[in-house]
Amino acid sequence: MTQTLPTQPPHTPPRRHPASSGERRPAPARHRGLGGLATRIVLLAIVDALAVYGLLALAADRSWWMFGALLVGTVAVNAVYAGKRHVPAKYLAPGIALLLVYQVYVVLYTGVAAFTNYGDGHNSDKPDAVAAILAHSETRVPDSPVRPASVVARGDRVGLLVTQPDRSVRLGWAGHPLEPVEQPVYDAGGRAVAAPGWLALTYSQIAGRQKEISELRVPVTDDPNSGSLRTADGISAAAYRSTLVYDHDADTITDRAGGVVYRPTSDGVFAAPDGTRLSPGWKVFVGLDNFERILTDQDIRGPFLGVLVWTFVFAGVSVALPFGIGLVLATVLNGKRLGGHRIYRSLIVLPYAFPAFLAALVWQGMLNTDYGYVNVSLLDGAHVPWLTDPWLARLSVLAVNVWISFPYMFLICTGALQAIPAEVTEAARIDGAGRRQVLRHIKIPLLLTAVTPMLIAAFAFNFNNFNVIYMLTGGGPKDPDAPIEVGSTDLLISLVYKLAFGGSNRQYGMACAVSILIFVVVAAISVIGLRRSRAFEEQT
Amino acid sequence: MITWFVRVGWRHLVGVLAVLVAVFPLVFVISASLNPSGTLTGSNELFADTTGAHYRELFDDPLHPFGKWFVNSMAVGLATAIGSVFLGACAGYAFSRFRFRGRKAGLTTLLLVQMFPQLLAYVALFLLLSAFDDVFPAIGLGSRLGLVMIYLGGALGVNTYLMKGFFDTVPRDLDEAARIDGASHAQVFFRIVLPLVAPVLAVVALLSFVATLNDFVIASLVLNDPDKQTLAVGLYHFISYGVGRNWGVFAAGVLIAALPVLVLFQFLQRFIVGGLTAGAVKS
Amino acid sequence: MRSRLLLPAVLAATLLATACGGGSGGAGNGDKTAAPAASGQAAATGSLTVWADDARAKPLQEIAAAFTRDKGVKVKVVQKGLGEIRDDFVSQAPTGQGPDVVVGPHDWLGKLVHNGVLAPLELGDRAAAFSPVALEAMRYEGRTYGLPYAVDSIALLRNTELAPQAPASFEELLATGRRLVDEGKAKLPVAVPVDPKSGSPYHLYPLQTSFGCRVFGTKPDGAWDPAGLELDSPGCLRFAPWLRGLGKDGVISTSLTADIATDAFLKGRTPFLLAGPWDAATFKAAHVPFAVDPVPGADTAPARPFVGVQGFFVGAKSANPILAQDFVLNYLSTPQAQRALYDTGGRVPAATAVLDQVENDPVVAGFARAAQAGVPTPNLPAMDGVWADWGLTQLAIVQGRGDPTELTTAMAGRIRAKIAAG
Repeated sequence: MTQTLPTQPPHTPPRRHPASSGERRPAPARHRGLGGLATRIVLLAIVDALAVYGLLALAADRSWWMFGALLVGTVAVNAVYAGKRHVPAKYLAPGIALLLVYQVYVVLYTGVAAFTNYGDGHNSDKPDAVAAILAHSETRVPDSPVRPASVVARGDRVGLLVTQPDRSVRLGWAGHPLEPVEQPVYDAGGRAVAAPGWLALTYSQIAGRQKEISELRVPVTDDPNSGSLRTADGISAAAYRSTLVYDHDADTITDRAGGVVYRPTSDGVFAAPDGTRLSPGWKVFVGLDNFERILTDQDIRGPFLGVLVWTFVFAGVSVALPFGIGLVLATVLNGKRLGGHRIYRSLIVLPYAFPAFLAALVWQGMLNTDYGYVNVSLLDGAHVPWLTDPWLARLSVLAVNVWISFPYMFLICTGALQAIPAEVTEAARIDGAGRRQVLRHIKIPLLLTAVTPMLIAAFAFNFNNFNVIYMLTGGGPKDPDAPIEVGSTDLLISLVYKLAFGGSNRQYGMACAVSILIFVVVAAISVIGLRRSRAFEEQT
Repeated sequence: MITWFVRVGWRHLVGVLAVLVAVFPLVFVISASLNPSGTLTGSNELFADTTGAHYRELFDDPLHPFGKWFVNSMAVGLATAIGSVFLGACAGYAFSRFRFRGRKAGLTTLLLVQMFPQLLAYVALFLLLSAFDDVFPAIGLGSRLGLVMIYLGGALGVNTYLMKGFFDTVPRDLDEAARIDGASHAQVFFRIVLPLVAPVLAVVALLSFVATLNDFVIASLVLNDPDKQTLAVGLYHFISYGVGRNWGVFAAGVLIAALPVLVLFQFLQRFIVGGLTAGAVKS
Repeated sequence: MRSRLLLPAVLAATLLATACGGGSGGAGNGDKTAAPAASGQAAATGSLTVWADDARAKPLQEIAAAFTRDKGVKVKVVQKGLGEIRDDFVSQAPTGQGPDVVVGPHDWLGKLVHNGVLAPLELGDRAAAFSPVALEAMRYEGRTYGLPYAVDSIALLRNTELAPQAPASFEELLATGRRLVDEGKAKLPVAVPVDPKSGSPYHLYPLQTSFGCRVFGTKPDGAWDPAGLELDSPGCLRFAPWLRGLGKDGVISTSLTADIATDAFLKGRTPFLLAGPWDAATFKAAHVPFAVDPVPGADTAPARPFVGVQGFFVGAKSANPILAQDFVLNYLSTPQAQRALYDTGGRVPAATAVLDQVENDPVVAGFARAAQAGVPTPNLPAMDGVWADWGLTQLAIVQGRGDPTELTTAMAGRIRAKIAAG
C-alpha cells in the first residue's frame, strides 16, 4: 500500500493541508471482523467489572467523592468506546483520565491548601489537636509505681488486672476504681491474668482492641488526684494525672490546676483569655490571608522582583543555549557519511543518562574555590570563587545547567531531524536546492514547528528547576544581612521552598499560595509564547 | 586533505569537542566508584587508588538489594516509556488529525497543567494513594504499578505536543489516500502514521525512560519497601544525610544504572538512523 | 471497528503494567508472616511499620523478627533517607497511614511535638539503664517522647603517626599542626569541615563554647530556653574575631568540605580532623592510625560539643498504639537489642550496660568521652531557622565579609525576630 503513495510536493508545507474530519465520511464497505467486536466487548466488560468492584468497595467505605468520580468516569468510558461516535475522544480518554486523577487533582489540592494555614503547628484536624494536647498534659503521678498488669474483658467491657508486689490483685475498669479480687488466675511468672467473670485477653485479642485499650483509664481511687491507671504496652500499668480537661459540649479545654479556660480561635488554636496558646493547633481556612501576606509582607515582596528577573534569565538561557548547541550538534553529526557518528551520539548523551542531582554535586566539587579540579588542575592553581561570588555563581549555575540539558536538546533535535520525511528534502535537492538552503528553508522551520512546544515545556521546567540550584549553590551565595534567606542564584521555586520549609516554620499553605502565583506567571507567559509561535498552526 | 576537512573533518572536530565536554565530569564519577575512600570530589587525583570493592558491595548486601532495584527500575521505566509513548501518540494523533470542539483549549490546558510547580505535590499524592490503598491496593502506596500510573498521569502534557508536532509533519495526503482505500482511522493510525514516526516514538520512549529512571521524589514517596524500590530511591540511601555516606558505592551504582540507558540508546539509535524509508518499506 | 485496536491496546498496556507490578501485591501478605510462636499464640491482628534510615534498618529487622516470633505481629521496616523521615512523618502521620515507629535524632522532637504527631513514652524503670544526657535529650517540655539508643558528638581525630600526643588546648593543636606543615609532613594544620553553603555551626560549637558562647540559655530544669538566645553574649563577641583570625590565616577555609577534609585525613595530609563517629569506620577500614579525643578548648571555658541522641519514637496516630509501645518499650530497650544496634552502627551506646561492654574499643571510648563533655543539640522547633542564620554568619566571618562583631550582633537580632514571629 505504501509503495503507491503520492509523493509530497516539497514546497507545500504539509501542515497547511485542510483539516479532514474523516468520521463524517460514509464508511466504505470493509471487512468487519466479529472477533474484533467481541474483543472490544470483552475488554469493555473487564473495565466495567473492575469499575463495579471499585464502586462497591467505595460505597462500603463511604468514600462518596471517589465513588462519584469513578461513576462519572465509568459512564464516560462506556459512552466513548461503546458507540462509533466521539472518535477523537477514543484517542484521548485514557490519557485524560490519568491526567485528571494524578495531575489535575494535585493542582486542585494545592489550590485549596493555599487558602488554609496548613503548616507547622497546624498539621492536622481539630480532634487530632485535642488528642495531642491532652496526651501531652497527662503526666505520671509522682513516685507512683509501674505494676505488672493484664488486660481482661467481661463482654464488651475491658478492665485492668493489676498484680501488687505482695501478689494481691486488684481490678478496675473505666469509671470504676480498683478493688481487690479474690481467687485470681496467675501465669507462670506470678502475674495475675484472669479473675472470676473476667477473661484474659490474648495478645491478638489485645491487638484487635488496641484503640479501646490505649484509651482505657482506670481510676486508682475515688479521689481524682490519685490519678488513673493506664497501660501503654498491655502488660504493665501506671497511674497518670491530666492537668487539662476537654469539655466536648462547650468545646473548651480547662486547666484543672489554675482553672484557666482555653477556647478555640478562628486561626485554629486553643487560646486562653491572656493569649496563651496550646500547641498544636489545627488546619483552618484562612481565606486570602496567604496571598495578602505575599503581596504586603515586605520581607517577601522585597526580594521578589530580583528573584523574578533572575528566574526569567535562568530559564531563558537554560533553554536557548542548550537548544542552540543541541541543534548545531544534531545537524553536524546527522550526516550518514560521517564515520563514527554513532559513537559521538552515544557519548554525547552520557550526561543525560546520569541523574541530574549527581551531576550537580560533582560540579559543585569541581568548582570548589581552593580544592576544585577546575581551579587546581585546569586553571593551574587559580582561586576563582566560582560558586561564592554572586555573578560567577550565576554564570556557573547556568553553565552547569547547559551541560546537563544539551544532550536532551541534542536528542530532541536529532529525533526531529530524522522525522522529517526524506521525500521532502530529496525533492528539494532534485529541484536544485543546496544543502544549506534545504537546512535553512525546509528542515529548520519544520523542526522548529515540531519542537516549539518542547522548548516551552523546557522553559517551564527550568523556571521551576529546583534541583540544580539546590544541589549546586543552595540558592547562594547569600547575603547574611538579607531579611529572609535569599541568595544570588535563588529561583522563585527555591524561594517557595525556603518560605515553606527553610525557616523555623513550615508554612505549607503559604507555599501553595506562592506556587499558584508562580503558576499564573508561567502560564501567562507560555500562552503568549504559544500564540506567537506557530504551534497552533491551524488558522481555520 | 583540506577538502576532507571541509567536508567531513570539521564535523569530527565538533564531535570530539562535544564528547570531551560531555564526558569529562563523569570521569570523576568513575574515579569515585573505584576509589576506596568513598568520597565523591574530595580528591583531584583521579584513579590514584582503585578497588572493585564498591561494585562487589553493591551485589552482596541483602539490605540494599541492588539487583532488585535494577529490575524494578527497568520494569517501571519500560512500562512508563511504553505507556507514555502510547498515550502521547494517541492524543497527539487526535490533536493532529481531528477537528473537535475544545481542541485548542485542550491543547493549551494540557501544556499548562504540566507547568504547575510540583514541588508541593507530595502531600496531595500521598493522600490520593493512601485513599486508593483501601479500594485498589494494586495502585496504592507501595505499589510499583501505582508509581507507573502517576508517571502516566503526566504523560500527556509534553508528549502530546511533541507527537502532534511530528504527526503534523507527516503529509496528510498519506492518510487521505488510505482512507479512500477503505482504511478505518485506527488502521491509518496504527499501520501508516505510527510506523512513519517510529523514530520519534523511539526518542520519546527514551526520554520518558530516562526521566522515570531519574525520578527520586515521587518514587521515594510511593515505594517504601526496599525490595520494591527503584534505583534512584535505593541508591539515595547510600548518601542520605547522617551516618556513613558512601559515595563510592553510590557512584558504582549510578554507573551500572546508566548502562541500560546507553544500551537502549545504542539499540534505538540504529532504529532512529534507519529513518523513515525503512519504516515505510517494512509496512 | 474504529476503536477496535485502541481499547485492546490500552488494556494490553494496563495488563502489561499489572504484570510488571504484579509480584508486589501478594508478597507483603505472605512472606513475612512468621510461624506462630511456640507458646501457641495465634497471629495477632495488626502490623507495625517502622521507618529507619538504612544504617539502622538491619539490626531493627533482627529485633523485629524476635517480636514477630513472640507475638505473631508483622513488623515492616521501611528504609528511608534520614532527611525524609522527619518531614514525611509530619505530613503523613495525620492521615493515619504514617509509620507506627520512627528512628531519628532527638533534635526533631520540637518539630514533631509541635505538630502533634508523637505519643509520649513512659520508660518507667527502664530509664535507669540509660545515661542521663540521653534521657534528658528525649524530653520535651517535661515529657519523655523517645527511647534512646545512641549518643553522637564530634570529637578530635588525631593521626597518631603525625601527632603522637593529644593536644591540651586548641592553641597547642595549632602549633603542632603548623609545625608539621612547615616540616612538609602535612598540608593542613587541622581540617575543620565546612559546608560552603551553610557554614559549620555544629563542628565549631565546642570551640565556640570554650569562649563561653552558648546558643541559648537554659531554663531552671535544664532545658533550652528559646527566649534566651545568647549568640551575642560577651563570649560570642570574643569568639567572632578569633574565628576571623583563623579564616585569615587559612586554618579554617569555607571551601574545605567534609569530602575534602575526610580525604585529607585519610591520606595523612592533616594530623587533626573534627569528625563524628560515622566517619570513623572509613578510617578504620583504610587502616589510618588514629586516636579519638574530646575537642580541646581554645579559651578558658570548657569545650562542649553538641550531642545528638538517637532514639525511637511512637506516632500519635498509630493504628497499633499497644503493639508499637510494646515493641519499643519491651523489645528495643533490652540490652541485647541495644547491643545489636551498636554492633551495626558503631555509635556510642546510650545504654550504660552496653557502653561498659564496648568501652575497650578506643574509638568508642574516645567518642564517649567527647559526648560526656557535650550538651544536647537544642530540640526547639525554631532551630531550623537558627542554624541557617548562624551558619551564614560564620561563613561571612571566616571569609572576612564585614566586621565579625557587627555580623554577630546583626545575626542575633535577626534570629530573635524570627523566634518572636514564630
